[in-house]
Amino acid sequence: MVNYFLRRFLLVIPTFLGITTLVFGIMQLVPGGPIEQAMMRLKGAGGGEAGASSAARTDVAIPADALEDMKRFYGFDKPVHVRYGLWLWNVVRLDLGKSYVYGQPVWDVIKARFPISIFIGLLGFFLTYSICIPLGILKAVRHGSAFDVLSSAIVFAGYSIPGWVAGTVLLMLFGGGSFWDVFPLRGWRPMDWEERDLWHKILGQAHHACLPVFCYMVGSFATLTILTKNSLLENLGADYVRTAFAKGLSERRVIFLHAMRNSLIPLATGIGGALGFILAGSYLIERTFSIDGMGYLGYNALLKRDFPVSLGTLVISSLLMMLGNILSDIIYCVVDPRIRFK
Amino acid sequence: MTTDSARAAAAADAPGAALAHVAPPKPSASLFRKRLRKFRSLKRGYYCFLLLTGAYLLSWLLPFFVSNKALVVRYQGKYYYPILQFYSAKTFGMPGIGEAKYRKLAEKFREAGGEDWVLLPLHPYGPNENLLNELEGNPPHPPSRAHPMGTDDRARDVFARLAYGFNISITFALILTVVSYGIGIAIGAALGYFGGRVDIVGVRLVEIWSTVPFLYLVMILSAILLPKYYQGRSDFVQPGFWLLIGIMGAFGWMSMTFYVRGEYLREKARDYVSAAVATGASTPAIIARHILPNALTPVISLAPFTIVGEIASLVALDFLGFGLPAPTPSWGELLGQGLDQIANKNWWLITFAFLALFGTLLVVVFIGEAIREAFDPKPFSRLR
Repeated sequence: MVNYFLRRFLLVIPTFLGITTLVFGIMQLVPGGPIEQAMMRLKGAGGGEAGASSAARTDVAIPADALEDMKRFYGFDKPVHVRYGLWLWNVVRLDLGKSYVYGQPVWDVIKARFPISIFIGLLGFFLTYSICIPLGILKAVRHGSAFDVLSSAIVFAGYSIPGWVAGTVLLMLFGGGSFWDVFPLRGWRPMDWEERDLWHKILGQAHHACLPVFCYMVGSFATLTILTKNSLLENLGADYVRTAFAKGLSERRVIFLHAMRNSLIPLATGIGGALGFILAGSYLIERTFSIDGMGYLGYNALLKRDFPVSLGTLVISSLLMMLGNILSDIIYCVVDPRIRFK
Repeated sequence: MTTDSARAAAAADAPGAALAHVAPPKPSASLFRKRLRKFRSLKRGYYCFLLLTGAYLLSWLLPFFVSNKALVVRYQGKYYYPILQFYSAKTFGMPGIGEAKYRKLAEKFREAGGEDWVLLPLHPYGPNENLLNELEGNPPHPPSRAHPMGTDDRARDVFARLAYGFNISITFALILTVVSYGIGIAIGAALGYFGGRVDIVGVRLVEIWSTVPFLYLVMILSAILLPKYYQGRSDFVQPGFWLLIGIMGAFGWMSMTFYVRGEYLREKARDYVSAAVATGASTPAIIARHILPNALTPVISLAPFTIVGEIASLVALDFLGFGLPAPTPSWGELLGQGLDQIANKNWWLITFAFLALFGTLLVVVFIGEAIREAFDPKPFSRLR
């Protein structure tokens, strides 16, 4: 078993190399990089489209030595594989380079966004689990009842609305633009955060977090509820439940002590996967609510062609995804002793 | 089932003699037929299926219903069909350059009261047509009689954009499903059928591929590779559309692989496969003709949910600005517009785009539920 997980950890390395080689390679092809942007500024031709070929621009008179300086400054004077090697070596030493936009080390820029994404993500995660599991159990126990049918309708509706789309609708309804002014339109904390006392900080934070957290829940509400329900139903049809009833145990005892323990196993694996998602997967929700977390950072970096930050975000999110997957397997092993990985 | 039990009963009564009187058993319906019949009996899903299929087929005829090009023009005794062909304004004696403005032409003919006439589509506004010089005030314009869903921030008719967006979204999702399932099934079949070392190495590679953060990678590649503006004649004859399908297909095929691999692992041990081998069928024939039809259950029962996910991904990418090139009609772009100016009173952008998306996805989910129930039934029985 230890062997298996050791191998899994080792496999992170080739995966990581594969993803970064691919993206690093393609990023070199992209027009509108820092050099071209600087050249556009020099020419005073701002607002041009990045789609035109870069070759067409070089014939404009820009002093050759200035160009060389610029290339050296951004590291573009070396061939691609050398640059990739250098970048990789730096990544190993936890140096992700310097952001073109912020002028700070990428790692610092990303680190500053972690708490925001974690706060919203974890809150959403816990609330989802603490609502979906009881709901799923109730639906399984009352399978076929009016309550089951009615809540299924809500679950279906939830499945058909991506979380961030629910966010735009809620913002339209409650953001004060067209209808009611109940919730703030953007940001994850009130503007006057520093001046507030503790109680008003909590209130302000809750006020800002309500809608984004709700949208997180919409995203995984349907799958988690149905998964809980089906998994419990499957167990309620199993032989050991028949045996438990046959020995004369109460229904409550059979459901909650015997069947539920087994039916929660598939849910446990979701926890690991959520790790990667919590930290890095929320581009849409953070963009919708203009919350300055990791997702919004990565999105803006792409828009502004801030390559070091884009690559850094990709590095962090792929590592987290991979670790999350391994964590899922470990949790699976811990909660279900029958599972043996080889 | 009834014929079987009848035969069994008859055989038990008078073995041998009775067999002559028993009618030859009707060939029982194939499993697929039975499942189809079951699917038809699930009314909600079946009607949703008919509704969606009908709406989608109809959406290919949108130029006849929602367009700024006239269907027929009668001018000076001659008939013109602008829907099929480009006519400059000069053709009909109108001032200006470029394509004739058919709504104005219709008005002119009506005022003149002559023999000439213009047959306009039901909703005579195009999805990419700028209506700035017809409407008062700044865009986006609120819903009105002529524009029941208002206009967007470039003064384009929202209803027309939503309608064409429906056609594009569904087409995109269908093609993407075919592409990603094609890759997934091919690789899953190879892994499952050959097994052994191929399987071990292949599964690892597929696992590696699936730990890629899908959305961000697609965003990066789309930001880099996709043209930002139309480079073709129509929504589908442009490289952006196919490039996006290629990018999303390349990173979205993995989930199906594991299901198909599982099916092949199970099916290849069956007798019919041994029989096929014994009759000298070639390996590709066994994989594609003998086993594949029996391995399609997860493919069919998961396809609707894949389509839901793909429509949602397309809308998300368009919303973020990394989707189909402008000015392709798109639901996600409309949501993005609505969000960017949410502080202004422009509720119609988000509301109608949301309703279109929600309605479509809900219908597909209902279809998916019914298909799943017909193809992969899990009769839950409580033992008590």
